[in-house]
Amino acid sequence: MQSLFKSLRKIERTFGSMKFAVTIITIFMFALIYGTFMESYHGAEFANRLVYKSLWFMGLQLLMFCSIIVATYLRFPLKKRLYGFYTIHSGLIILFIGSFVTYINGIDGSLELIPNTPARKIVIDKDFLKVSIQSENKSIKFPLPFGAFGTKLDGKYKNLIKLKEFLPSAKLITKWEKTDFIPEAIDHGSIYTIFNDNVSQEFTMSLNPSSDFKSSTRLGPLTISYMPHNLYECFTAESKSGFIIWDTAANNCYTAEQKNIPVIKTSKDNEFIAFKNGNEILKFFPNFSPLPVNDDLTKKMDSSFRVFSRKLFQDKPNLFLFGDKFAFYKKRKKRWIGKKFSEKEKIHKLPWMGFKLRLLEHRDRMVPYQTPIYSRPIQDSGKIVDGDVKAVKVEVKGKEYWVRSDAPLALNNGKTEIRFQLTKDDIKLPYQITLKRFKMDTNPGTNDPASYESFVDLLDGRNNSPATEHHVFMNNPLKYDEFTFYQASYFQVGPNVWGSAFSVNYDPGRPLKYAGSLLLVLGAIWHYFLRRKKKKTTKV
Amino acid sequence: MKYFALILLILSFNSFGSICDDHQDFEKIAVLNKGRVKPYFVAAKEFTKAITSKSKISNIDTNKLFCLVSMNDYESIKAQINIKVEHFELKKFLGLADSDLFINIEQALEKKELVRSEIMGQKENNSYKKALNKFWFKANTFEKATKGELWTVYQKSDKQSEQKYTWQPISNFKEISTPQLLEENSYFKKNNENTIDIETTYAKSNIFTYAMLIALIAIILTVMRKSASIGFAAGWILIITEAIGMTFRVLISGRAPITNMYETVLFSGFGALFIALIIYIFKRDKLFILGGLGYNILCLFMMRFADGMLSESISPLVPVLRDNFWLSTHVTTIILSYAALALSWMLANMTLIKGRFGTLSSKDLRYYEDLIYTAIKVGIVLLAAGIILGGVWADYSWGRFWGWDPKETWSLIVLLFYMAILHGKSTPWVNTRRFINLSAAGFMTVMMAWFGVNYILATGLHSYGFSEGGAIFLGVFFISQIVLIILANIKVKTRA
Repeated sequence: MQSLFKSLRKIERTFGSMKFAVTIITIFMFALIYGTFMESYHGAEFANRLVYKSLWFMGLQLLMFCSIIVATYLRFPLKKRLYGFYTIHSGLIILFIGSFVTYINGIDGSLELIPNTPARKIVIDKDFLKVSIQSENKSIKFPLPFGAFGTKLDGKYKNLIKLKEFLPSAKLITKWEKTDFIPEAIDHGSIYTIFNDNVSQEFTMSLNPSSDFKSSTRLGPLTISYMPHNLYECFTAESKSGFIIWDTAANNCYTAEQKNIPVIKTSKDNEFIAFKNGNEILKFFPNFSPLPVNDDLTKKMDSSFRVFSRKLFQDKPNLFLFGDKFAFYKKRKKRWIGKKFSEKEKIHKLPWMGFKLRLLEHRDRMVPYQTPIYSRPIQDSGKIVDGDVKAVKVEVKGKEYWVRSDAPLALNNGKTEIRFQLTKDDIKLPYQITLKRFKMDTNPGTNDPASYESFVDLLDGRNNSPATEHHVFMNNPLKYDEFTFYQASYFQVGPNVWGSAFSVNYDPGRPLKYAGSLLLVLGAIWHYFLRRKKKKTTKV
Repeated sequence: MKYFALILLILSFNSFGSICDDHQDFEKIAVLNKGRVKPYFVAAKEFTKAITSKSKISNIDTNKLFCLVSMNDYESIKAQINIKVEHFELKKFLGLADSDLFINIEQALEKKELVRSEIMGQKENNSYKKALNKFWFKANTFEKATKGELWTVYQKSDKQSEQKYTWQPISNFKEISTPQLLEENSYFKKNNENTIDIETTYAKSNIFTYAMLIALIAIILTVMRKSASIGFAAGWILIITEAIGMTFRVLISGRAPITNMYETVLFSGFGALFIALIIYIFKRDKLFILGGLGYNILCLFMMRFADGMLSESISPLVPVLRDNFWLSTHVTTIILSYAALALSWMLANMTLIKGRFGTLSSKDLRYYEDLIYTAIKVGIVLLAAGIILGGVWADYSWGRFWGWDPKETWSLIVLLFYMAILHGKSTPWVNTRRFINLSAAGFMTVMMAWFGVNYILATGLHSYGFSEGGAIFLGVFFISQIVLIILANIKVKTRA
């Protein structure tokens, strides 16, 4: 008993000592400096995950709290000289408790309002993996850890789904996978760079529907289309009509001239061709649509034939890529030009604005896909420019997949569908808020916002009163029930239509924090100014 | 026919070229640009500064320059309009020699599109890209000005209705005479409450240059004379002068004079001197007056000569700061606390320098320690109050008391630093000498919170006042301060 008492005393002395206080304040200060620099390089969320909301930082705060408590305890019984000291330290203790209450019970979320659409969902910044299993009509939410780095997960659902890994921040890299997609002509992918002296852009293309990449893209006025590789011959062949017929079933193509299909002009000067496929006669107006038309001029969707009119792509800059070959129309020479990439010629000139095209990679029977790898987010001028993807690796029936925050995953085995989605946590309000009008004032003569204001209706179904009107703007929040709604920002919904974003907050620690703050400031004034004066007067 | 020709002749005299010669007559007319209505005089000054990085160009009045450019008739003066180019790579790109500091506006306009495409070609947002952007922005502003877009005139837009007025670019008026301009402006004065006249008076008064002069004289008098009373009186004159200057700014902007770096520097100088004079009343030591005046003049120097970093123009505020009550209480408290800490820093540095060139007994040191401690006490109490006021404001307008925003966090770091020293004073770790050294070093955390967050960390919600020169300024400050501390201590050790 005696020794226990002794060691308690010892602990008290250590925690309550000035040296301990100075040490913990200094360590805390350096942790904060580290945090602000991490914030600057990697953004607020990463800094929160790494420092401010991490376990070790909580530990530091706990040590500081202990130091304050023990130091105050050691200075009892009350001494008149120390009244200021007691006030400051009890203020700090109350402030700490208030913050802790906020941390445990507080709610900090956001509410997005689209004009005239009732909203009641508060989104909270807490990551979840949501899994929906269609056949069981079931939806499960797995919480994800709040760490700064990649973490192993051990969540699972029956023997069907296992969670493997969570990347709180990641960037996407391109990888290739073997496929056996049919028709073979479209089963390939390529990576190119298009560049001139001023710009350079890398892009990956694929026609495979399972790929993450698109088959067409735009670069200013230039349209780039990725095509089945066997269409190259037709695009570059001599053809007066410029009509290319593509038989998707037989997987080949020819020009109208090659098959001696005549081009007929209608009375309104529209070009028209028709040919026989077996017993069926197919009619096309290729300048309007590549699909054949029925007798009543509606589009015939089920045909395997397509007729392209090359002329449509002659006026504006159009680049057609066929994997390791490409074609474009040269206005000056008035003809279609085809070029091939080879070991010797990896770069070709394009006829627009000094652009050049480089083939970085081309693979047949392969599909490019994106996969996340861990990367700290990179912040530049206040914006996250890289590493802004979150991803969870899941295992379903022995096979691994990535679920990304920018791309939900849906698995379908014919019988049932399982959907995976990375989402934020949310709370449903027992009442609804509708944005009636959003008003943004700008500084005169500029487009910089001077103020933004939301006019909302609040309808509470719990009492039978009619909707109440509220005006929420910067520095003028709406308080209702236990929540406070603040005008935070705005977003564009459509042309000239703006939505409003509120931040929503419930803070049970608020009174404690305010009381603690007040005590702290009053105590500081007392301790540093009034105490001295008293001393002097007593001396006199 | 004869008369018609005569009228034409008169009209042509009255038009473009000649109106700029009467610039004195219309320097007080209202112009709307950059989101605020201001006197022509100020718009012209800001324009000149924005393009040439100088407040004055020899031989040409800024009023006339702005007029000629707005009329697209600047052929006669174009040789004197030059854009400052500092970035090494940008110089190379523009075809300048390393020793060149300026590029003529004509060449700049020719290169504008090339610069634009060079910006497009930059993958990383590095200093080169920022320099390119800045350059392009200047050239573009100039081009806008030549189209008359920056000089806007308040004009009746609807001949029928008396009520409808819009701001029209000067180029919309085919031939405008000075009397016509003044007439249009009289409608503005009639229809709007405004502070145009006040602002013109302020802009032409150069009040802070006079303040600098007063500060200089006050310092000389304080150092020369044995009695502090003359310095004390001069200090109050300086306080009044600066208060008048700030009052002007309050009247013009309608808000507390603490909304950009220029104003915070001004206010901290004012605050430090004020606190010093008040403490002097209690403590009766000349050093306080000297410290206050010294810091005050440093601030005035910065405002005058670091004008690339501190912009004196009054600009509209971002929406979140538009709350006069919180702005005046929170920011004022914080800047006053920085002012008190600046005073402690001045005193600490003065002690260090004194110790370097003479000998200080341990009694002297303890005496100075007490002076510094007094200033720090004021500083930390104000800082704690300011941080908490900031928290309450953030809670009130964003819904959170504390969010680890870099500006918040750094102000807390400053508080923790000084708290560590003050707690340390009761341990053997921080003796008198270390206390003085640490107080001198402590102001580096203040500078980091005040300037560094904006100029080095440059992120977060408090996004006002970013500039390129700031990082260099801070770097120079940190290095000088560290060197000063090292030099002061080497001496001390060899003596001992």
